[in-house]
Amino acid sequence: MLVQVPGGWNPLLGRLAIDQIPYTNPILAPLFVAVVIGAVIILGLITYYHKWGYLWKEWLTTVDHKKLGVMYIILGLVMLFRGFIDGLMIRTQQVWANGPQSSGVFGAVHGYLTPFHFGQVYSAHGLIMILLAATPLLVGFMNIIVPLQVGARDMAYPYLNALGLWITAAAVALIMISLFVGDFAHNGWFGYAPIFELQYSPGVGVDYWIWTLELTALGTTLGGINLIATIVKMRAPGMTWFRLPIFTWASLSANIIALTSFPALQVALFLVACDRYLGSHFFTAGFGGNLMLYTNLFWIWGHPEVYFVILPAFGMMSEIFPAFSEKPLFGYITMVAASFAIAGVSWLVWLHHFFTMGAGPDVNSFFSVATMLVGIPTGVKVFNWAFTMYRGRITYTAAMLWAIGALFLLLVGGLTGMMLAIPAINYMVHNSVFVIAHFHSMLLVIVYAIFGSVLFWFPKVFGFKLDEFWAKTMFWLFSAGSVLVFVPMYMLGFMGQTRRLDYVFNTAWHPYLVTEEIGIAVYCLSVAAFFVLLYVSIRDRVKNRVGQDAWGTSRSLEWLTHSPVPFYNFAVTPHVNARDELAWRRHNGINEAQPTQYVDIHMPNNTGVAIYIGALTFVLGFALTWRVWWLCLLSLVAIIVLMIVRSWRGDPGYIITAAELEKMEREAMQRQQQVEGHLPHHGGQAVPGGAMAYEGQKVSPLGTPPSSGGDHH
Amino acid sequence: MSHGHDNPILHPEVQMSSTRGYFTGFLISLVLMAAATAMVSSHAFPPFGLLMVITICAAIAIIAQIYFLLHIDVSEHNIWNTVSLVLFIPLFIFTIGLTWWMFSQLYLRTMPMMPGMH
Amino acid sequence: MSAHDSPDPSKAVLWDTHYHGHDVISTRSFGYFLYLLSDGMLFATLFAAYGVLSYSHSYFNGQTPADFVHPWYTFTQTVALFLSVLAYGMGMSAVKKGNKAGLMNGLIAAFVLGVIFLGLDIHDMMDLAAHGVTVQTSGGASAFIVLTQVHAAHIFFGLLWILVMMAQVAAKGFTTDTVGRLLSLRMFWHLQAIIWVFVFVFVYLWGYMS
Repeated sequence: MLVQVPGGWNPLLGRLAIDQIPYTNPILAPLFVAVVIGAVIILGLITYYHKWGYLWKEWLTTVDHKKLGVMYIILGLVMLFRGFIDGLMIRTQQVWANGPQSSGVFGAVHGYLTPFHFGQVYSAHGLIMILLAATPLLVGFMNIIVPLQVGARDMAYPYLNALGLWITAAAVALIMISLFVGDFAHNGWFGYAPIFELQYSPGVGVDYWIWTLELTALGTTLGGINLIATIVKMRAPGMTWFRLPIFTWASLSANIIALTSFPALQVALFLVACDRYLGSHFFTAGFGGNLMLYTNLFWIWGHPEVYFVILPAFGMMSEIFPAFSEKPLFGYITMVAASFAIAGVSWLVWLHHFFTMGAGPDVNSFFSVATMLVGIPTGVKVFNWAFTMYRGRITYTAAMLWAIGALFLLLVGGLTGMMLAIPAINYMVHNSVFVIAHFHSMLLVIVYAIFGSVLFWFPKVFGFKLDEFWAKTMFWLFSAGSVLVFVPMYMLGFMGQTRRLDYVFNTAWHPYLVTEEIGIAVYCLSVAAFFVLLYVSIRDRVKNRVGQDAWGTSRSLEWLTHSPVPFYNFAVTPHVNARDELAWRRHNGINEAQPTQYVDIHMPNNTGVAIYIGALTFVLGFALTWRVWWLCLLSLVAIIVLMIVRSWRGDPGYIITAAELEKMEREAMQRQQQVEGHLPHHGGQAVPGGAMAYEGQKVSPLGTPPSSGGDHH
Repeated sequence: MSHGHDNPILHPEVQMSSTRGYFTGFLISLVLMAAATAMVSSHAFPPFGLLMVITICAAIAIIAQIYFLLHIDVSEHNIWNTVSLVLFIPLFIFTIGLTWWMFSQLYLRTMPMMPGMH
Repeated sequence: MSAHDSPDPSKAVLWDTHYHGHDVISTRSFGYFLYLLSDGMLFATLFAAYGVLSYSHSYFNGQTPADFVHPWYTFTQTVALFLSVLAYGMGMSAVKKGNKAGLMNGLIAAFVLGVIFLGLDIHDMMDLAAHGVTVQTSGGASAFIVLTQVHAAHIFFGLLWILVMMAQVAAKGFTTDTVGRLLSLRMFWHLQAIIWVFVFVFVYLWGYMS
């Protein structure tokens, strides 16, 4: 029943062998050494400062949605960095290997990457950026913000939430280990038949690719269920549907897409696995298989997926624009309707990824029209954001800059998308770098929204603001890089450069490629600026502390909690009276009102089961990749046993008494007074300079100096 | 909506189980499946008509099962399940239907004349 | 432009100390139903794949379902599955009155009937293999076998779950957790009957006809 694999197999180690470790590869071998050194340093530091207990208790076993969200974001940022390095490698290879006279090193005829290695780099780049960077970042934000925005104490299924994180971490571990043990797939991030068949990809790369994707799909599906159930079932009293903050609406529509579409991905990949492991004929060229079927099944997931990542980004922009225009969001209801229209229509467009595959003009026309229809609700959103800003009192914080940048990118990406929707144009530019520039413009919308959200919500989660100067520096550098990399790319697409070239034959394109390389260098500078931003912000964290309403003009419910948010979110569940609850309370001068009475609250316990199961899914994925059957069975059984054990034990949770709550709340309010003591709070009117003290503005104490002002190092 | 049920057995989702409903659903679907099997194994109709008939049998059986077994109705406790199902059904139809259309068009253009094509 | 009039701020309720929290059982059931719908999408995708691979050329001149499907044999599987689903339903009706013995009888019957279903299915697959029809034979055979066996795999894990629930209810009785899980399992088991109607009619019967 199982296929014979080339390259040997033994019952104990499967396909693992010492020659699967690329110790002669001139790039990977030094990288491995660097990684080992880095790991030793980090682990050593943790041990030296005796932080293992803290790490285990507070982070690795937590079910708190905020901590899980932070870990998702850290995971996403690390993978964003790795994906960026892959992108850097692609650009460098293309500018180097340009023309028959170009030199070659490290065993490559041109450039420094052999074609086989280059294939792995761009496959990893695509997979990582979409599924292991953008998705965890967005999921992390949804995790942190949505329960706060609906007034809940946690998500509907805290344990499942933790499980989702650790399964995603397992997927990350799997793709990272593919660097050093075996190869990665070289069939592009989405794969083609028949190159991913065993005959044409005899190594383990495609298997790594399959199981990484399957694990991410599982994690995201579980997260989707959690978010939808939370939004439907756990809203605070008074939070009717049309008082829901817009980011929550965006998360709801996005997760409906996730829930409905990820199963198609799981099936598509499962069938590839059947072909590779069982010798079935789903996607083979002969024996009755169908190559186009894979592409069809994949993109049934693939297109809704891109809307799954962009809708939360739109939601983030919809939160940032009103806050920094000091106006409510224009056209709230049409925004909500547009989100769902996008989600719905996104289900009808997937063939536009393979217009050229031969379905014919009737089918192509249907999908083309549907694709163009998606532009309408998107356009509604663009106008709504513009009208939100119109006649508002705009403050150009770094977060606002990112949001405005995202808007411009959306215009470029969206319009080129409309071009691509037309089969006549598509036939010309299909698989050229024009398509790459288009979807990178869209993905940059997401990246911009994420960076803007990091700046926007960081003060809420951590209690202090990030440094504005370095945030803006990073923004301008990043935007310059974006222009330098992608404008030439659109041009090159029209001139005929196809995607995924490891050797670029046309030297007339050299100036464009050089421009793109300069752009990547500018990106590197912006990454450096990001690290400086982190360092400076952490160094100045006491100076930049904020209270509950960090920006002074925030509007939605999450800003009602203390900064940083206590682990129980709200001491007493808030009662919601209006859309933009905080703005309503601030307008009526009651935003500072605290509960007069506390009640006992029920919190879930931490658990190690989630991380154990996550680790076991990594082992399972690894064992499946290397066909170590006994280990597959063992890890699968272990996972099932752990699930049964967890189910048996359940979680009664623990109670925080009203008295304990009151004490913690009093301490939080004292901290708030220390931070804002020198800023008088007038109910609704914005005090000039006062309510929006950021940018290192020197605000002279208007009243008595704070009782414990200055630094507390 | 919160329920202060101390006894989980009194929860509406438990109480909505009905022996008669389950038995009715069982009977309807079993009878329809038996009829379909009988018609198919005896080749009672020409292929296309037969396909129509068994599709109708399947459709009625499924609707019966969805109503009697899954408790899909518009009562307060089931409304969200119903809404979710109703939103998913078009997606099932698109996935299968658009794929089928796409490939029948493809085969029309790329495959030689095929006897026995659906 | 709010669709709701905001209350008078001086009289507005700002904090809700009497909020009892969400209904744990219905939250769990809803989430589980959402998971089941995603499972339905899994099957829909498998059906789409099967649809593409069920043309005559998909069988590569090998045996087609018309050759290897025995409708009345599969109908026996149908009977077993539907009876299993009915038994589970009866068990759940016993829970209404807190009747532990009734539930256990229902679970045991559901389990045994499910095992019969699986046994018939495995026998069928081994028979196919003996006649030279495996996933390696053709695209059509691959689609047929994988789709039917994915359903069978669901039954397998469902049976495992039934065993676990028997143990849990025996040990702990009807708690919020065990009752919640029984409700989820009910939805899962009943969905398998629905999926089976699709599999039986559109894979077995229709395949036999073609």
